[in-house]
Amino acid sequence: MICKAKLSLICVVTVVVLAVAGCGGSTTTNGSGASASSSPTTSSAAAATATSQPGAKVSANTASESDIASALSAVGVSNAERWAKEVVEYRPYPADDPNMTKLRDNLAKYNPGQETVDKIVSALTP
Amino acid sequence: MTEIRNQRGLASAALVRRGLYALTVIGILATAFELATVRHWLDIEQLIPWVALVVLAIATVLALASFRQGRIAAGLLALLVLGASVYGVIDHTVVNYNSGPLDQRFADTWESLSPANRWWYAFTKTVGPAPTLAPGILGETAVLLLLACLMPTPTAAGNQPSA
Repeated sequence: MICKAKLSLICVVTVVVLAVAGCGGSTTTNGSGASASSSPTTSSAAAATATSQPGAKVSANTASESDIASALSAVGVSNAERWAKEVVEYRPYPADDPNMTKLRDNLAKYNPGQETVDKIVSALTP
Repeated sequence: MTEIRNQRGLASAALVRRGLYALTVIGILATAFELATVRHWLDIEQLIPWVALVVLAIATVLALASFRQGRIAAGLLALLVLGASVYGVIDHTVVNYNSGPLDQRFADTWESLSPANRWWYAFTKTVGPAPTLAPGILGETAVLLLLACLMPTPTAAGNQPSA
């Protein structure tokens, strides 16, 4: 009898745990959803690159975090140190993608806005 | 009559136990797949769930062993993974909290919000990139294994179920 009660208890706990896990799992895809909704366009990126100062660009692949932070500050990005950390975290970036699509996709998860993403990319080269 | 009931109980217990083991293995594989798809290895801290998965796999093997000490060790390792899962939920919430000023909607107002508001936005992923409850899958899998370890087995005292 005790065994049966224990068995029933374990079954109930298992069902509850699975139900809770089901709720948690639904959040895992939100990041990519946000990425898709705020994905920047190529034309605006080109415009931002055109307005950036030549020579101020640093390599997103090889520059140090502090160098990237300085370059971002120079183009007027707020929280430059924090964004530099993100740039370093998502390395490496394809050398044949001057538009930095990979970086744009990853930054979009933070919902920084088109202008901020364009400013960040304008200070960087792959 | 009592013996027949005991045998039925043991059969049911064995079925549930196998089901819990199967769900544990599925949980480990599914979590590994999910972590791989989001490239969850970009810094040291992101390796924690991978280590937890290895620990959980070892615990599962130990739990499947017939000796009692193995099941006890498996239970303890499952508790360890449960702790890692709780840490993951907290860590994801903190990451989102720290991302608040980067969000264009809150960049100018984040500091003026009440702490309760800021933490709520972080926990509900209103700000930040980290799925706060996703590490809970590790905890869920650990609990499944823990329950499997607590199931009665027919090994001790003949056909009588034990702990």
